[in-house]
Amino acid sequence: MEALVQRLAPPPAHVDPDEYSVGGDGEGNLNALGVVRGMQVPRVPDPAAFLSTYTNSMSQNPQAKIKLEHGTTTLAFRFRGGIIVSVDSRATAGSYIASGTVKKVIEINKYLLGTMAGGAADCQYWETYLGMRCRMHELRNKERISVAAASKLLANIVYEYKGQGLSMGTMICGWDKTGPQIFYVDSEGTRLKGNVFAVGSGATFAYGVLDQGYSYDLSDEDAQELGRRAIVAAGHRDAYSGNTNNLFHVREDGWEFLGNKDISELWYKYEQEKKDARHATAAGSGADAGAGKQQGENAARPTTEVQPVPMEE
Amino acid sequence: MSSTNNTGFDFSNHARNQFLGERLGSALPKATSTGTTIVGVKFGGGTTGEPEGVCLGADTRATGGPIVADKNCEKIHYIANHIRCCGAGTAADTEFVTNLISSNMELHALSSGRKPQVVTAMTMLKQYLYRYQGHVGAYLVIGGVDETGAHLFTVHAHGSTDKLPYVTMGSGSMAAMAVFESGYKENLTRQQAIDLVSRAIRSGIFNDLGSGSNVDVCVITKDQTEMLRNYEMPNERGSKTREYKFRRGTTAFTKEDIKSLIFKEEVKILPPSLDANTAMDVA
Amino acid sequence: MEMNGGSVVAMIGKDCVAIASDLRLGSQAVGLASNFEKVFPVNDKLFIGLSGLATDTYTLRESLRFRVNMYRMKEEREITPETFTHLVSSTLYEKRFGPYFIEPVVAGLPDATPLNPNPKPFISTMDTIGCITTPKDFAVAGTATDKLYGVAEGLWEPDLEPEDLFETISQTILNAMDRDALSGWGAVVHVISKDKVVTRYLRGRMD
Repeated sequence: MEALVQRLAPPPAHVDPDEYSVGGDGEGNLNALGVVRGMQVPRVPDPAAFLSTYTNSMSQNPQAKIKLEHGTTTLAFRFRGGIIVSVDSRATAGSYIASGTVKKVIEINKYLLGTMAGGAADCQYWETYLGMRCRMHELRNKERISVAAASKLLANIVYEYKGQGLSMGTMICGWDKTGPQIFYVDSEGTRLKGNVFAVGSGATFAYGVLDQGYSYDLSDEDAQELGRRAIVAAGHRDAYSGNTNNLFHVREDGWEFLGNKDISELWYKYEQEKKDARHATAAGSGADAGAGKQQGENAARPTTEVQPVPMEE
Repeated sequence: MSSTNNTGFDFSNHARNQFLGERLGSALPKATSTGTTIVGVKFGGGTTGEPEGVCLGADTRATGGPIVADKNCEKIHYIANHIRCCGAGTAADTEFVTNLISSNMELHALSSGRKPQVVTAMTMLKQYLYRYQGHVGAYLVIGGVDETGAHLFTVHAHGSTDKLPYVTMGSGSMAAMAVFESGYKENLTRQQAIDLVSRAIRSGIFNDLGSGSNVDVCVITKDQTEMLRNYEMPNERGSKTREYKFRRGTTAFTKEDIKSLIFKEEVKILPPSLDANTAMDVA
Repeated sequence: MEMNGGSVVAMIGKDCVAIASDLRLGSQAVGLASNFEKVFPVNDKLFIGLSGLATDTYTLRESLRFRVNMYRMKEEREITPETFTHLVSSTLYEKRFGPYFIEPVVAGLPDATPLNPNPKPFISTMDTIGCITTPKDFAVAGTATDKLYGVAEGLWEPDLEPEDLFETISQTILNAMDRDALSGWGAVVHVISKDKVVTRYLRGRMD
């Protein structure tokens, strides 16, 4: 067993420059078993500067020829019923909307989800790799990896490459022995535990809705609705977020996918609800029009205290 | 309206734009430029028995960055009846500079009472362009026939000029010059000149990515100026074989406002008033 | 251009023209308003779309309004689309070395005159320093230029009746906007025909 583990375990990420000479054994950065054994880094004095000449991975270099997927809104929050993970699906290259159907939640395994912001390829690659490492942990220790450990694995990996052009802002969400856990990990090496996170260009808008409606004691339904509304708000205001919303709920027995909905359609639906609520209160208040308007505006705010309207599509 | 009292350019947005440029990086809008092939050749005279003249040629593609902004633009500009000018470079500059010189040539002709000479146009252009130190990005081929014979010049944006029997300019100038160098002879006939010019332009159209679409030719002799617009069209677009019409009512709209431009007037003849004086009293 | 976002498109039909713009006003990535119209009437049957830097949209609109009013008073007649195009062009070229960040699109239906008894529908467009192009099919401008070119090149066909032209131009701008992060948030379409101008506000994506 230990021998197998040793064979499968990747060597340290940093490799002697001579070892990865161009061509090499022709297998890139995977070994014969398809396991990562370290990234090749351009052989220049400053790989990060080299990369940012050609891509916008580290800076908003507008002259960059290669524009990586950047704009995003992703969020996750912890509450009594587990974790809600909600993301948009837009990929942009400059102002061009390259795709509206991106999967920004990476299903690491049945109990772990990772979100994607920043470089799509970086997130996809390293979170998939994280899945392999988590499985190795299970085989070695005969028990599931904790979210804390899994997120630390990722944080340690990306820290090896700090300053070399990786671009990721991710939330590792899962349920382990200690309950639901969310860790924010980014390519700078930051690793934070928390209850509420939003990452990406639309994060400020998402936080706006989230902070105003969040409570640890939210019901499942209300929590899911809050997750949706936060992404809709971000998709509406932020040019680089939008298209569709993917919603996940992590419970003790693993995560559940709650569907893919069009953000624009949701926005129109919420607007209609606001209008209806205004009309209802205006009609109900009778003589005191001023008070009715006040109420109407209160009801119009997309709080979770408003009677949740059943989803329809 | 501070600018209407002054003539010439207005630099009032310059500092602001520089600031915006720094904030937005290179995302500033691109001016339309004529990635171009323009040529000119002298012909006739000698023993041909044909009158002396010049033949100008141009492609018809205008570009804005990588986009073809106009598939059939006109790059042979009018200067005077017997003088024409091909333009390459910044499209707005070639357009306005040739217009300006054309006006000045007309005024010059009116005040002097003589047909203007090609050198006059060329000198006016070079002096104007030199004044702007290359910032007015007009690269020109100017040709015409006046009392002193047929003339052909090139004018660069910085103000330098050349006088040659055959010239090319623009991004397709190499491709066109290759044709001229192999095909030019002294004292070509009129038709030979047209053929050579259109072959040179075609070479630019097909070998230079900045040039494209059609061939415009202009032939100027002492007696007449012929503008052969779209002399050759080697890149005609195939017609669509199907319709792409949408069924009416496809597009959802939230509000409609119809402004009728038909003014309805109803003339009503009133019964004669009982008291005409009262009816007329408007005081 | 990338500062505020926005796009304009104009198309020629059979004895009619249409001009459309999106309604977004943004500050880089953030959407600020969804009622920012970029198309303005010059007279009954002549419109101009001014996409680009929002401050210049208004500056240029006022400057053109002044010049068109002066023209109207001096000439005692309405300006024709072609003359108006040259007026816009000169206004832009005056600022050759410090341009307005605007790409205008003009669309109009000229009145019949003794000199021009059968006028044709007219559209034109310019770059930021006033180089005119007068297409026979469609004109586009703004942050969705590339996308508009692509869609319009595919959808436009000659001699569309006003109602068909409305569908074609609407679908063109809606679909182009859906691929542009900086345009969108609704659209407005004006269809100008001989006896009426129809203005419609489209239901577009709000993300």
